[in-house]
Amino acid sequence: MKKILIVDDSRVSRIMLKKCIGNSDKYEFCEAENGQVGLEKYRDFRPDVVFLDLTMPVMGGREFLKEIKKENVDAKIVVCTADVQRKALDEVFSLGAFTVVKKPPAKGCVLDALSKLDQINK
Amino acid sequence: MDKTEKAIITEEEKEILLEIMNISFGKAAADLAEFIDIYIELSIPYIHVLEPRALSGYLKKEIKDNLDCSIVEQKYWGKFKGDALLVFSAISSRELLSLLDTEKDWGYCSDPIDVLEKESLMEVGNILIGACVGKIAEMLNDIVTYTPPKVIIETQPLDSFFNFQVEEDSSIILLRTAFKFKSTDISGFLFLITSNESVEWLKSALSEFMERS
Repeated sequence: MKKILIVDDSRVSRIMLKKCIGNSDKYEFCEAENGQVGLEKYRDFRPDVVFLDLTMPVMGGREFLKEIKKENVDAKIVVCTADVQRKALDEVFSLGAFTVVKKPPAKGCVLDALSKLDQINK
Repeated sequence: MDKTEKAIITEEEKEILLEIMNISFGKAAADLAEFIDIYIELSIPYIHVLEPRALSGYLKKEIKDNLDCSIVEQKYWGKFKGDALLVFSAISSRELLSLLDTEKDWGYCSDPIDVLEKESLMEVGNILIGACVGKIAEMLNDIVTYTPPKVIIETQPLDSFFNFQVEEDSSIILLRTAFKFKSTDISGFLFLITSNESVEWLKSALSEFMERS
């Protein structure tokens, strides 16, 4: 079973993302409402992939991404954001994001990201 | 959350609307960043439900430097209906002008600077408000039309501006997001003041949005 951590302050956004991923037999989910809680949960849960929002209270997604990459350079982070400005996307890729899914998440894009992760893990 | 807020909008509806606002302002920022070479730092939006008589006081409190700001106003109407206010500090409008056109030396044309500032505000306001409100409407399966943007420069007292035509026994859903253009002094707020007429439709549209998502 693949472990997925969703770090997003919006409960609605987390629900939408889980609906897109579907198949509860195949995935185990863990959720966090900001980057700081996300870091703690990452260390406990050891997810295969993190879906990460950028604009959050307490600790935002960029800071989370930097911290996680320091701890585990191979961490697989899919940024799921409403900030679709080119400079924001360039920045998260430079910080080591695996890919970006624009909000609202489309099922096809989310599953495509997971499928690409499966391929590189083979 | 006060009594009015509880009665008019549930916690779940509020969360859905916040996410829609977040997505929509993100789209608006991206549209503007295509037009001028900037990066807009986004913030977490807020929702407030107010009685009409409390609106003026609320907005004045939010716009702390209200004697020194410029406001772009645009009304929108469809099933989603209301008033959008994009608020910039006065410093912002001058800097905005230089971002829009760095080729010209505005120092040589002292008189028309106010006009040019006004035009740059209108242009930026039109893009941010249009893209944000348009995206909200699209996500809620609606189509809206807009009045042309109107700029209110700081010389006009805000009291005379915040004079919305609303029924006294109604409530207003106000969406607020703050923004800042990175590496500049340009910052401000976008307020969307949703008309009481839209509230019932909005509640059902939010529920349908979650079912579709």
